[in-house]
Amino acid sequence: MALLNGTATYTRFRLLGDLPDGFEERFVGALERHAFKEIDPDADVERHLGWVRWGDAFDSSWEPHTLVNGDGVMVLTLRIDTLKVPPVTLKAYVAQAEREMRRKLSRERLTKPERDMLRIEVQKKLRRRSLPKMQLVEVVANLSTGEARLFSSSKRVVADFQDLFHKTFGLRAIGSNPLTVLWGQGFSDLDQDQVIGLEPERFHQVPE
Amino acid sequence: MAGRQPAESKDSTSLVDRVERIRFLGREFLTWLWFESETHDGKVQAGDLGEVSVEFQKRLSLDSAGNVPEVNLVRAEDPTATEESRVALKMGKKVGETRIVLHAADHDFQLALAGETLQIKGVKLPTALATEDGDKLAERLDLLDEVEGLVDTIYARFVRMRMNEQTWAPVRRELRAWVERGGDRD
Repeated sequence: MALLNGTATYTRFRLLGDLPDGFEERFVGALERHAFKEIDPDADVERHLGWVRWGDAFDSSWEPHTLVNGDGVMVLTLRIDTLKVPPVTLKAYVAQAEREMRRKLSRERLTKPERDMLRIEVQKKLRRRSLPKMQLVEVVANLSTGEARLFSSSKRVVADFQDLFHKTFGLRAIGSNPLTVLWGQGFSDLDQDQVIGLEPERFHQVPE
Repeated sequence: MAGRQPAESKDSTSLVDRVERIRFLGREFLTWLWFESETHDGKVQAGDLGEVSVEFQKRLSLDSAGNVPEVNLVRAEDPTATEESRVALKMGKKVGETRIVLHAADHDFQLALAGETLQIKGVKLPTALATEDGDKLAERLDLLDEVEGLVDTIYARFVRMRMNEQTWAPVRRELRAWVERGGDRD
């Protein structure tokens, strides 16, 4: 777990929005609605994501009184599963199935609908035999300071996190930038307006 | 939540515009950090958090502004000591990303800093003393708070100076002279 060991690679966010009264109860309900659900191999879905408890990829239960600690910190894990048959594997198994069917039907060729149907059947069979690739990404949100950390720097994971976090908690997570860093540093609205008015500075001499 | 956005920036369009408007400040900050540390024996003031030593290490990218930015990526034990990095500064490039070591009072942190976003990347934290998961988590989060606090405080100090022409004008003059003479290497 990146949170406990090794180099910490993460993305910082500022959280926008207001916390509703009794948010712990509401958040637990929202987490359960957006909890991770296993991919159905018979369905046509390659990627699923949702929340699980920190430290247990198979537990999606939370209690309002333990969700957030005394410092306002909430630790969660974003689980992302991908169930995808590698194209080379699929192609080989489809070719084998086509050969068997041609032999069975004593025909040299299969029609396009027959080949399409066969491909879907083979894909389902292979998906049932495959284990999804599991990604566990830790999330630490400090609801007192309005900051969050996602322990990944992948653009796709960052976008997934921002979308799911907003859907779940109604709070927008804005990636760190030269403006949001100032929000935690006592810059008033007036100060920020002044900063926004700055123009880029030249640091080098321009030859006359 | 504390430290939140000002009221008027809740409108997402205006927030995006405002952020884009000052993206350049991050690159200016990293360039100033190099200047500040080099002209003060490697030391930089971090407000109430005290003085920290800043060491640029291994990797430094210098970018030009504009729609098609040119990038010099310098890989060296001390990239700020290279001729390439000094020439890039003279050509008007600024630091886009770098690896640094912050030597604070109690801890040393190795990290990469990106100018456009001020995202902190790949932080090597001091070894946690706790062994139980919950305690270790709390200790590592405290260390992340500490390193972010240092970076944010130094950045805020730079911005306060930068937004006031009286404080910025002498720094601008010294900074340009430093770039022109190719730094203050020993």
